[in-house]
Amino acid sequence: MKKEIISETPIKEFDQSMFELTNGQDSRIHDEAFKTKPTTFARDALKRFAKNKSSVVGAVIIGLLLLGSFTLPYITGHDIKSPHADLALLTPKLFESGTGFWDGTIKRSGSAWDASVQNPDGTHGAPANVKISAVVPGSIHIDEVSYVDQYYAWAAGGYFRMTSDRYFTAEPTSYTDGIYYFSNFTKFTFTSADNLELNIEFGDTDDIDNSKLASSRVLLEYKDSGTTKKIPLNEWTTHYTEPFSKNLSEVIADNGATSVTDCKVYVEMKSIPNIQQYSYILIKSVQLKSEVEDEAQQELLGHISFDDANYMAGTPKNSDNRKNLTYWQSTATKNVWHAERRTVSFIYDKYADILGDQYDFIVGQSIFKQYIAKGWCEFTDFSDVSTFKVLDEKNCPVLEVYSGEFNEQYQVWQYKTHTIYYKYIGYKTMPKFIFGTTNHGYDLLTLAFSCLKTSLLVAIISSAACLAIGLVWGSISGYFGGTVDLVMERITDIINGVPWIVMMTLIILLLGNNVVTFAIALIMTGWIGTASRTRTQFYRFKGREYVLASRTLGASDARLIFRHILPNGLGTIVTGSVLMIPGCIFSEASISYLGLGLKGVDSFGVLLSTNQAFINSYPVLIIVPAIIISLLMISFNLFGNGLRDALNPTLKGGEQ
Amino acid sequence: MIKYTIKRLILALITTFIILSLTFILMKLLPFTMPIGSDNEKYAYFNTQVFQGFVLDFKEEQKNMGEYLWRYNEPGTKRWHYFYQTPIMTQYFSWLKNIFTEWNWGTSTVIERNTSAIIVIGSRMPVSISLNILSVIFSVPLGITLGIVAALNKNKPTDHIISTSVMIFISIPGFVLITFSLLVFAYNTHWLPTQWPQPTDPTKMKVLGYIIPVFALSFGSICGYCRYVRAELCEVMESEYLLLARTKGLTKRQAIIRHALRNAMVPIVPSILAEFIGILGGSMILEQLYGIPGIGKLFVTALNTKDYNVLFVDMALFTTIGLIAGVFLDLSYGLIDPRIRMGAKK
Repeated sequence: MKKEIISETPIKEFDQSMFELTNGQDSRIHDEAFKTKPTTFARDALKRFAKNKSSVVGAVIIGLLLLGSFTLPYITGHDIKSPHADLALLTPKLFESGTGFWDGTIKRSGSAWDASVQNPDGTHGAPANVKISAVVPGSIHIDEVSYVDQYYAWAAGGYFRMTSDRYFTAEPTSYTDGIYYFSNFTKFTFTSADNLELNIEFGDTDDIDNSKLASSRVLLEYKDSGTTKKIPLNEWTTHYTEPFSKNLSEVIADNGATSVTDCKVYVEMKSIPNIQQYSYILIKSVQLKSEVEDEAQQELLGHISFDDANYMAGTPKNSDNRKNLTYWQSTATKNVWHAERRTVSFIYDKYADILGDQYDFIVGQSIFKQYIAKGWCEFTDFSDVSTFKVLDEKNCPVLEVYSGEFNEQYQVWQYKTHTIYYKYIGYKTMPKFIFGTTNHGYDLLTLAFSCLKTSLLVAIISSAACLAIGLVWGSISGYFGGTVDLVMERITDIINGVPWIVMMTLIILLLGNNVVTFAIALIMTGWIGTASRTRTQFYRFKGREYVLASRTLGASDARLIFRHILPNGLGTIVTGSVLMIPGCIFSEASISYLGLGLKGVDSFGVLLSTNQAFINSYPVLIIVPAIIISLLMISFNLFGNGLRDALNPTLKGGEQ
Repeated sequence: MIKYTIKRLILALITTFIILSLTFILMKLLPFTMPIGSDNEKYAYFNTQVFQGFVLDFKEEQKNMGEYLWRYNEPGTKRWHYFYQTPIMTQYFSWLKNIFTEWNWGTSTVIERNTSAIIVIGSRMPVSISLNILSVIFSVPLGITLGIVAALNKNKPTDHIISTSVMIFISIPGFVLITFSLLVFAYNTHWLPTQWPQPTDPTKMKVLGYIIPVFALSFGSICGYCRYVRAELCEVMESEYLLLARTKGLTKRQAIIRHALRNAMVPIVPSILAEFIGILGGSMILEQLYGIPGIGKLFVTALNTKDYNVLFVDMALFTTIGLIAGVFLDLSYGLIDPRIRMGAKK
């Protein structure tokens, strides 16, 4: 049947010549090489990494920080090796002073108002103890007066102001208003023979309307054989600036007393009707002087000077919320009752104060010789200051020489000069420290990046060492499992369990206080992390079917470890090691921050721990390093996430 | 499983013993520190040391034993005492004897002189424990809730905000966070105290004093829990059994609460348990920076003042807590999830 059917359909004849051998007779056939280039593991990983935008950003930031740490200390050129006391704790400055933002100036408030000083803008009362040239013109504002009661006194200079602060509609009959007394002068006895002298210094005022002056007086109160007597010592109604002086012994002798008790000295003021707050007296100091030789008696006398803060020595307190001022609680008996103190706020330019023009600055002869050699100035006769002439005004630090003095001991001339200090210490222009300087006068930015370099080097080296050790240990323990694993795990448990701080302290004691020692201490326990990560990866993959298949086909342990298991786990392991870098920096920083680890070394933790003391007064010193280290941590975490995905071979080509 | 548990527990005990022994020997290698105080007090201290077997007392100088630690002339007599350190291994055995026979862990030399180190540690524990309990109460629910919210809104703005802030805050070192919160809330605004309140301070101050430490302690664990819960829940949400549950007719809410959350919590519960063991410890950085008189600060003080006995007991406590937490964590994984077999061979 079949045969018939076949024969029914005509079979087309195929001639052999219709066919051609593609590879020719007897040629060998091989696989051809791909026309397209195969992607390598690295390129594939890079492609996957580039897709993760946040990781790329992290990598870029890490790169910038790395670049900065290796180049910035050389670019800025600020010296961070030898401390410079003059440059200590300067404020951040990026722009010229007076621009009001990031210009190195500080707003200061609560400084004592000093009536005897004339301000740059013509008014009186510049802040005490501050160079006028360092105060930005027009920035002085007189604050509200602060009250002083019996228990404490505002410290550090200035004047005490007494005001006729009560409002009267009719003429007051007596001096009931504005009574000030000096409590340390009370309850003491003196005789007419003591020659006791009272001195009161008053301050100059410029903003007072003379027509509205109250009448004021100084009053002496004492008890003479049971009766209290009040004797006015002086009375005035004009603007009073003359120092007041009176011999109290003579006063009581004139009033018929030889020995008096319970003395008080008052300064009183009488208000003018219908006028409030217009008249006041400024008191700078009150002094009682006596020639008595009794020491206990001398102790009761004394001197209240409002620009001498020492007498108010006591416990400094600054947690007071009142007007945000610092005051000292007075433990001394010398108190002022019922007084006011004027303070000013102003903008202070520390750069101009410390690095700007210095008057009466002492410069030695040898320095002039250097300047002459450089051709900056000429000084033909060292004994005659008038022969000094500036030749190069742009470079010469000394502008004028006021007077010279010959030092017999060293046989050299020393001169009082007008000098520009920043030129004197070698800067061409006024230096700008972008983030300010530390307590040793180092530029914070330069120092921070220099420290970052040290810390990064330590961290990278120790992470690499930990990776090497941990990989071997973890592979063996994870791959073989069972008893081997149990024993090896216990060993790591023990090493991990011995407190790291003790180990570190011992190693530092043994090998010295330097960063290499710290790296060794980090490696001592750091490898355990890598080892356990590797072990986990081995546990994860060693039971997989493909490993089993390979083992069935007779693959050796080494082949299974290196060809089959390790590449799959490598992503996690390497990521873990990369993340160890910030971990190392972090542990160094934390340990040194606590003051336990390294000391006096250029590392990030040491920088942070030194600057920790200035957290309240100069917070920028702690904020900048803290931001840098946080930025580094965030970037490394982002980078690590991307790296883990990039190095995971199971994700290969997944997203296309 | 029971066999493995017993094995792990015994091993943990042995490990603790070896670690403490090693630490003891290492600490004895550190330079000897003289107790502070008058000669009489020093003499009393050395006598106790001799009694406990750590120091030897000789009538005259011993040439072959190196340098003496201290010498003392009894007042009014010509009797001299030369104190020498006992060889370290002998000290080690005396130390073991003291602990096993009379539970004597040594006395404090600097911090609270001549008080038992155990008592010194015990007096510091309540502060640390109260802070830790508060932080656990605060952080666990908050962290888990945030994680659930993030996972249920996966790849939506809510998730992005939560995940990004978690990533940022987990990266910032703890001391930076503490420093910044101190700067902002204590030094600048004066809302919170800059230091841990004294016992004499008013109650309001004491309550306010808890804010920064609890905040600092919880921040890390909130972020940790949030990230962990989000990862676990996201994985569970894509599983097939959840799809089946939905196909069966469960609402999304039912499916999440009955199936997804329960399974996602499996690996999280052990770490919460481990956190409760960690309550006994103290954070060194926080306690040092904020001046909290807990065992973390005690550790730093003991190390700085070289009060080795206190340091040792403190360290022993930290070590034991760490080891127990580790064993517990490992075991609970196996107990809760039968798919994980710890210690399986190759």
